[in-house]
Amino acid sequence: MLPDRVRTLIQLLSRLPGVGEKTAQRYVLFMLTTDSDYGAQMGQELIALRENIGHCSLCGNLAERGGSDEPICSICTDHKRDPHLLCVVARVQDLMAIERTGAMRGRYFVLGKLLSPLEGVHPEELPIERLKDRIASQNITEIILATPPSVDGEATALYLRRELAPMGITMSRIASGVPHGGELEYADPITMGRALAGRQRLSR
Amino acid sequence: MVRRLSVEQLSVTNIRNLRSVTLNTSADVVVFAGRNGSGKTSLLEALYLLCTSKSFRAPRPAESITHGQTEAVVRGRLLDGTVGREQRVLLRDGVRSARFDDKRPPSLAAYAQASPVVIFHPGDLPLTMGPAQGRRQFLDRVAFYTTPNGTKALDDYTRAHRARQKLLETRGVDAPDIDPWEALVARHGLELMQTRQHAAAALIDATEHAFTQFAAPQLVLRGRYVPTAPDDEDSYLTMLQNSRVGDSHRGSACIGPHRDDLELTLDGQPLRQVGSQGQHRAAVLALKNGEITAIERARGTKPILLLDDVSSELDAERLRAFFSFVQREQVQVFLTTTRPEWIETGAFGEASSRHNFEVDHGVITRI
Ligand SMILES: [Zn+2]
Repeated sequence: MLPDRVRTLIQLLSRLPGVGEKTAQRYVLFMLTTDSDYGAQMGQELIALRENIGHCSLCGNLAERGGSDEPICSICTDHKRDPHLLCVVARVQDLMAIERTGAMRGRYFVLGKLLSPLEGVHPEELPIERLKDRIASQNITEIILATPPSVDGEATALYLRRELAPMGITMSRIASGVPHGGELEYADPITMGRALAGRQRLSR
Repeated sequence: MVRRLSVEQLSVTNIRNLRSVTLNTSADVVVFAGRNGSGKTSLLEALYLLCTSKSFRAPRPAESITHGQTEAVVRGRLLDGTVGREQRVLLRDGVRSARFDDKRPPSLAAYAQASPVVIFHPGDLPLTMGPAQGRRQFLDRVAFYTTPNGTKALDDYTRAHRARQKLLETRGVDAPDIDPWEALVARHGLELMQTRQHAAAALIDATEHAFTQFAAPQLVLRGRYVPTAPDDEDSYLTMLQNSRVGDSHRGSACIGPHRDDLELTLDGQPLRQVGSQGQHRAAVLALKNGEITAIERARGTKPILLLDDVSSELDAERLRAFFSFVQREQVQVFLTTTRPEWIETGAFGEASSRHNFEVDHGVITRI
């Protein structure tokens, strides 16, 4: 009934988080009926997105690709940041949630994953060596473990704490029980700021 | 002052054989009488869905929807003390969604916690006779309503325990991340033990007292929460560490909340061994009374009581004793029965306000 192209686009859009088939259909019809530039511009931006945006080679944050160099994000190049303080997070979304508080003076390290034997994620899949390199090469003296307060986030924090202990750095853990369900992404800036300010110093 | 929760109006669309039903349920006791398969239990299912967003009969939402239909809706007007609210639960595509006054609750658990409901159905009868799992689930149900965190301790413990088990079975006893997972098993295990201890404490007094009214008054029922793990973290951890090899073959840890029990004794002897059938029934009723009392004390709200087909399981005398308790408590009661002739005998209480409905093939008539 619908032209193939329309159906394909509906299928593609309905793969987006939180978008069902009905919503996807509304989006496609909107793009067909609104001014012609809108869809074209979105198409160009989508193609440019994967070509121009990658992950920061230092921290894993989103970063602009610049020619042949490894991408470096705006936080890692920000010289006003405390170079010795590093905040370890699970995902880029969590980094963004902490950035929104404006309370983080240091830089970040994105793990990309949390330990989870039930989903088959084991320590060898965490970028521990890269994290250790970063700590050693950049003279990091303090680490904030800001993985979410879920069971997996807590297990990962405990594991990192033990792995990094021989490096002799100060470590702290964000205050727990803050966002419901352990999703930092949905915490408002005030709550997130409190979790950061209330972080517990971990004994070595 | 303890408030009372009640459902004042109920409307059901596409729950099993209930295609489109709207009922005024503004009464102390609401009776649904009908033959087996008439749809009377589906009305209790709809009420339970309205309060909790879940069914007590089917684990998956799709099973409650009328055959051949894609969605089901239950709406109701509830009164919590003097404050009214509209609630709505929608089942569609295997997904549940719930609303208070057209607003989305913070979570489905938060939605369910707001409207405490106690249910007693024939499936509850093995509670005191059967394996410990039923009694653990019962304690966890009470804890869901009586602790602010709901099922968090249970969920966290279950995840940590399953993760440790998977690790032992797939990576062996020397997996590099076994220590962190074990630490979390002990931490959340202790949290859950404390949660259950509180639930048991809230429950047991009222249960023991109620039993004297449903069974011979000289018999003493005692309840006690029996955890299997030590209550200090270091010993708990040491025991887990020492049992890794055995646990990896057993399929679960040798100690911990997944093995706990709510132990019941009758005059000092294990109820499971010495109890007669009648004594078991009295004990189950007493536990349900305990559940009502525990929720009332913790929440300041009297829960709604749903009784499915109790007249087929209890004799008239026990039923009368149970109802006299229920009426003293002033909770709102919904019950189903295959014996409408019992209504007039006072077996379902001498309610000053009672609505009686006849249910036949999904059609409901006020009688
Ligand atoms: Zn970076």
